[in-house]
Amino acid sequence: MAAVTLTNVVKRFGVFEIVHGANIDIADGEFVVFVGPSGCGKSTLLRMIAGLEDISGGKIAIGGKVMNDVEAADRGIAMVFQSYALYPHMTVEQNLSFGLRMNGNPKADTERRVKRAAEILCIDELMQRRPKQLSGGQRQRVAIGRAIVREPQVFLFDEPLSNLDAELRVQMRVEISRLHKELGVTMIYVTHDQTEAMTLADRIVVLKAGNVEQIGAPLDLYDDPANRFVAGFIGSPKMNFIGAKVVETSNSAIIIELVNHGGARLRKPLRDAFPAIGAEIVLGVRPEHFFEAGEGDCDIPIKADVTEHLGSVSYVYANAGPEELIVEREASRQRAGSDHFTVSIKAERSLLFDKSGARIR
Amino acid sequence: MRTQNATAYRFLTPYLLIFAIFWIWPIISSFLISFQATRTVPWRFAPAFNWGRLIGDPAFYNALKNTLLILVIQVPVMISLAIVMAVLLNSPLLKARGLYRFAFFAPVVVGEVAYSAVFRLMFSLDFGIVNKLLESVGLAKIDWFSNVTPAMALIMIAVTWRWAGYNAIIILAGLQSIPEDVYEAATLDRVSKLKQFFHITLPLLKPVIVFCAVLSIIGTMQLFTEPFLITERGGPGGGTETLGLLLYRQGFRSLNFGYASAVAYTMAGLAIAITLVQLWLTREPK
Repeated sequence: MAAVTLTNVVKRFGVFEIVHGANIDIADGEFVVFVGPSGCGKSTLLRMIAGLEDISGGKIAIGGKVMNDVEAADRGIAMVFQSYALYPHMTVEQNLSFGLRMNGNPKADTERRVKRAAEILCIDELMQRRPKQLSGGQRQRVAIGRAIVREPQVFLFDEPLSNLDAELRVQMRVEISRLHKELGVTMIYVTHDQTEAMTLADRIVVLKAGNVEQIGAPLDLYDDPANRFVAGFIGSPKMNFIGAKVVETSNSAIIIELVNHGGARLRKPLRDAFPAIGAEIVLGVRPEHFFEAGEGDCDIPIKADVTEHLGSVSYVYANAGPEELIVEREASRQRAGSDHFTVSIKAERSLLFDKSGARIR
Repeated sequence: MRTQNATAYRFLTPYLLIFAIFWIWPIISSFLISFQATRTVPWRFAPAFNWGRLIGDPAFYNALKNTLLILVIQVPVMISLAIVMAVLLNSPLLKARGLYRFAFFAPVVVGEVAYSAVFRLMFSLDFGIVNKLLESVGLAKIDWFSNVTPAMALIMIAVTWRWAGYNAIIILAGLQSIPEDVYEAATLDRVSKLKQFFHITLPLLKPVIVFCAVLSIIGTMQLFTEPFLITERGGPGGGTETLGLLLYRQGFRSLNFGYASAVAYTMAGLAIAITLVQLWLTREPK
């Protein structure tokens, strides 16, 4: 087991800088998820930790030892690939034991490790099959098994569930969580799926265009995002961003006008920064933080375009002027027919961002 | 649907007719001719005439021995060389890959007569560059065309030069279809590059290598151009005569079509038998 520390890590491909000085401290035994949209550099960062990509600048340390010039095989890590990367011509058992056999590991120890991995992942029955005779979920288990057999200090997962169907993804998510508890090893997991990040991580690292936007526990990111990008990325359906203008300021609060909602006004207490009167800002409200008319601090009438009924809740998609709003409502058959209704925003369940996307607190 | 099929077949009819007349019928006809005595006119049906002669003909056994010798030595050497060339072509360190790929493939598009003439010049006893090179490093020059062993070696060198690059390009396509992350997984498993080659690359290339080997076996069984043009009709003294050449001599020099047909069917039968044995030996485990 080992802690992983990234200090000012930079990655360049030719003249293009892909990762711009990432600083991340991962504690021993922690489950950290790198999340972000495609092209944000999360997989590159993981591959640099693995030693599959050179580090253009900065330092990567595993267990306190700088790994920049250490071969991938000697870093004490194991990786699970998105495509599983199983050896197609070998049986499951051979896949699991290949690395150990090639390195002259004692036969008895190899057998013990393979047996243990097979038991942990419940793949005992599949040992004589080849990858093409396995389902996607089974292949994923074998790929994880191959990582377990190495008994690594750090597990790296590169979007391991993205090739599985929705149901299997949920099941494997739970299993990976269980595995982390059982093994207690540091795990770093890359995904573009914020639900995976929220459900698996001890801490999430949100990346955008090669920059670390925020690092924190899942609920901290949800409740207290550092900027508009994180606010929009974490949470599903995503947060609503409502255009607003500052109309009054005092020494503890500002009053804003929602420009696309008939001049509805909201008083928002602030702590640090006070934007000037007339400044254009953005109000962020999560779909689940709209209340019934009169229950909040500011009512806005909306007209539903489409309603999605998920059973436990319904999502109403409403076009209010140039803005589309997504509103979560309790599931109700009566409501299905009515298009016009009013929702209410509570000041304490909303966030403010300036025009550049930075949070105003 | 049926009308559609009928229309399709009507469009195909001209092709099918030509195919039947110029492909199917010659195949059947030559099989029938192999059972006829064709040295005198009129031809007469004599089942044992050609096949009986074949079994006792020293010229046939000489040609068979030469063909099989070339097959057994040249095909494995060429395929091994093609694998090495393909691996080098696939290396990310290689610059100007397109140029090399073209250079390796080029021998196939060079005219057979031209390439044979150049080979004859290069291996000429007194003026050839090969003997000059041998002499320059203190070795005795070799009379490539007058002795059987050097002449056979020359045929094998020529065929290898002509076809190794072609096979390398096919194997390269196979190499490029092996996903990179399998190698990355092996690297993380601390498996050396050499072991990766023998335990991952070669087993995964097996279907492509088998394909190349089958093509080469069929090609070598029909080998004609090189012994005809380079070693001058299977010389010296029939030392490089192959089954293809024997067929040509019998069919088109002596106009003994019956015997030539029997040789042709023997060649085809052997190619099929060797290929089947090879496919069986390299079959995928269940």
